[in-house]
Amino acid sequence: MAEENVTFTLPDLGEGLVEATVLEWQVAVGDRIERNAPLVEVETTKSAVVIPSPKEGRVVELHAAEDEVVAVGAPLVTFAVEAREPQAGIVGRVPAEEARPARRVRLKPPTD
Amino acid sequence: MTELIERDEATAEPPTVELSMQQAINRALRVLLAEDPATLVFGEDVGALGGVFRVTDGLQKEFGDQRVFDTPLAESAIMGMAVGLAMNGWRPVPELQFDGFAYPAVDQIVNQVARMNYRTRGAAPMPITLRLPSFGGIQAPEHHGESLEALFAHTPGLKVAAPSDAAEAYSLLLQSVRSDDPVVYMEPKARYWDRKPVVLREPTDPIGTSRIVRHGRHATLIAWGAMVHRCLKVAELAAEDGVELEVLDLRWLKPIDTAGLAASVSRTKRAVVVHEAPLTAGLGAEVAALVTENCFRDLSAPVQRVTGFDVPYPAGPLEPQYLPTIDRVLFAVQRTLEY
Repeated sequence: MAEENVTFTLPDLGEGLVEATVLEWQVAVGDRIERNAPLVEVETTKSAVVIPSPKEGRVVELHAAEDEVVAVGAPLVTFAVEAREPQAGIVGRVPAEEARPARRVRLKPPTD
Repeated sequence: MTELIERDEATAEPPTVELSMQQAINRALRVLLAEDPATLVFGEDVGALGGVFRVTDGLQKEFGDQRVFDTPLAESAIMGMAVGLAMNGWRPVPELQFDGFAYPAVDQIVNQVARMNYRTRGAAPMPITLRLPSFGGIQAPEHHGESLEALFAHTPGLKVAAPSDAAEAYSLLLQSVRSDDPVVYMEPKARYWDRKPVVLREPTDPIGTSRIVRHGRHATLIAWGAMVHRCLKVAELAAEDGVELEVLDLRWLKPIDTAGLAASVSRTKRAVVVHEAPLTAGLGAEVAALVTENCFRDLSAPVQRVTGFDVPYPAGPLEPQYLPTIDRVLFAVQRTLEY
């Protein structure tokens, strides 16, 4: 399936924080990562926290080195994620198309 | 905009483009907004977001927030506003976000939209096209999979359309919006993502005509919306057994194409109606009655109905059991063949 790149920006980890320092990356470029798996440990003026991965995919680029300060909203990491096409809207699911629909009933042509 | 009206001058043939149904509807709305400055598109999240299913994507950007705009989450207000706008010379194309939420607006639709022309002896026609994402098949939560066609078809003063593919969706919407009568335009959600090369044609058949999607001689399957696609699958399977099924897409549920129905069934002598709505007092009963009235002497078997069940529309995991399955349709076909 086709992949597309998605960049995750540093969220505000407290209320009104403006930046965070990267302490330690838990992944390297090329790694596959599950959603919610540990991604990176950062330190803000309030605390040190491990950010879980928001995506499942392959790590394409780390936008900050360790000890580097990243502004809230600046790119943190880029993932290559499987492009899911077509996508449903907010509600419901795209129905799967059966190549050959299942059947149990057989027909007999009419005699007339 | 130019791409929409571009034509090969030599052949005057409209272009073939690969589109999903949601994109085809979007194209039709762009044509309609461009050709008539009185046309307005509004509803919940149709503006900035571009609609829950991206059907109205980009329209606000192109035509501005005076002509494509979001409304509060209030279905009765959306339809009430459409009535007022229509009375003042506008051509509203409101969207109600999901069939099951049309009920709060049924008072406006049935008592205002449908009656105003009659009530004013023609002084206040209601050129309103209500876009209603309809029917099931996408495993959505409660109130997101209802089939209300019988309710609206039963209401004097309303026209009801239900397209079955992208090309049909395009031309039926042009026809609906250009009509000075109110039309309930029911979009089959399950087919929104159905993508294929389509020719974006101006409507040529008059309002109230059906179309034969597949020719056959042993029985006619009559359907509308997403069930047309399912009936085509059934016809393919039946062909393996040597049974040739005709598939008739009703597409206009009010007025119903009685002549078209009768012509097909008189030829095949057998009819099976397939719809998602519950059986009792569903539109299938109307179709069966029309066929019986018009083809009584030609019929080899009573008209069969394959429908949803007389229960509230079920939650997602039970949908495959509720909707007419391929086997249920095949079984009904077999029953008609055995008479």
